[in-house]
Amino acid sequence: MGFLESVALYSFLRGPMVWITFIVFIVGSIYRIYTLTNLAKKEKVVLPFINLKAAIKSYFHWLIPFGSRSWRLRPYFTLFTFVFHTGIVFIPIFLYAHNALWYESWKISWWTLPDTVADVWTILVIIGCLFFIGRRLFNPTVRFVTTYSDFIFVFICLFTFLTGFLAHYQWLLPYRAMLNLHILFGEIMLIAIPFTRLTHMYYFFFTRAWIASQAASWKTKDW
Amino acid sequence: MAIKPKVSEEKELYVSPHFPEYIRPKIEDPGLDETIKRITPEKIEKAYQAVFGKETARIKAIVETCIHCGLCAEACQWYLSNDRDPTYAPVAKVKMTAWELMKRKGKVEPSLVYDIARIAFTECNICHRCSLYCPFGLDINFIIGLVRRFCFLLGVVPQRMFEMDQAFMATLNQVWMSQSDYIDTLFWREEEGMYELKNLRIPMDLEGVEVIWYPLAAEPKAGVYHIDRIAKIFQVAGVKWTMLTINDSWDSSNMPMFIRDFFTMQRIVRGLYDNGARLRAKKLILTE
Repeated sequence: MGFLESVALYSFLRGPMVWITFIVFIVGSIYRIYTLTNLAKKEKVVLPFINLKAAIKSYFHWLIPFGSRSWRLRPYFTLFTFVFHTGIVFIPIFLYAHNALWYESWKISWWTLPDTVADVWTILVIIGCLFFIGRRLFNPTVRFVTTYSDFIFVFICLFTFLTGFLAHYQWLLPYRAMLNLHILFGEIMLIAIPFTRLTHMYYFFFTRAWIASQAASWKTKDW
Repeated sequence: MAIKPKVSEEKELYVSPHFPEYIRPKIEDPGLDETIKRITPEKIEKAYQAVFGKETARIKAIVETCIHCGLCAEACQWYLSNDRDPTYAPVAKVKMTAWELMKRKGKVEPSLVYDIARIAFTECNICHRCSLYCPFGLDINFIIGLVRRFCFLLGVVPQRMFEMDQAFMATLNQVWMSQSDYIDTLFWREEEGMYELKNLRIPMDLEGVEVIWYPLAAEPKAGVYHIDRIAKIFQVAGVKWTMLTINDSWDSSNMPMFIRDFFTMQRIVRGLYDNGARLRAKKLILTE
């Protein structure tokens, strides 16, 4: 446990690694979006086909739980996926503990979640991760198409939120060790985003625009 | 107690050597069985490069965004009507075809090309339902279409589908109908219809009309009564319309599209539009 709870590791993860992580995440994401847009320009039929009004309507339609028929057909999946995804985006931004770190580094702060809300939401995110893992193991249709990377993504999320929660309550491992693990997993998750299929987080807006334009050209609903 | 009739339920089964969960009845189709004997690894790789070689925006976006969630399965009629067999799900179909091809960069065996062709042509009818249920709106049809093109370039296509494409290549219609038979049929139906509606005419190649009607080839071939019925409707409605006999481009169906024979597909569509422009028609009406 010596190295894991060392101040040296903490200083490294809290200092240079944060810079590296955010630079890789932000620059990498911009690069991925930029290259996809360029490829789309080269494919000639793609950009003229996009109907922006239909795309924006589609974003709202699909980013609201139970908006589309597909969401409504699978109520549990929909609930878990919305709680999970909104959680992994908003909990890190509005958590008090993270806010304190931003203040420590840059003297900036903003509104934070009440403690109970953060706790409950984190637990729901963890349950969501377990639900996804369970689906991939026990649902034959999903199991057939699941690859190793799918498991890795959800385990990284699971460990990040689990270690964060455990660190806050100082359960299981010494505080510093759990904290270092939490920061490590969080940084792995952010760095992995531009290099893996976690890019689905912004590619959603591209692929959704395409099929929304398609449905609009057929004059049918976006389902 | 019900009496069970003695029917032999034993059908010979085909189990894919590449995907053990893929179990289907054995079907003999020379379009698949014979053609895979003639393809070589070089031809396979060449076909792959032609279709998937250049990584385009759509292929990249669709293959990389797919998070393997399986929501598309619930949309697919093949999946639902085959007792939710996982190998019928749209994502499973893409896994067994496109992912496999892209993972191995086209270096695949003819037996895998058989599986790929069987899945893409006979277990998906490109209805787009899966795309409407996918949370990302991935155009799965597009990928299946690319797989179909890959198979078409190798000539590995179910026989009946390729035969229809050949009909279009030779006659620009689906049923090998000669132009003289077609024109004769129109005159015949006009004559038959005249007994029921006074002064019924089937106009041919009239210019400056509101409507050109392009039938399905099946109509003059087998459903000839449709022709005089439509003619009566147009006449009574007072629409200035015409049918087309100046060249072979009168069939509005497009089987080459289904096997992704872009060249013939384009010949058909261009022919229909060119004729519309030539006759200065306002609307082109297609049976299909």
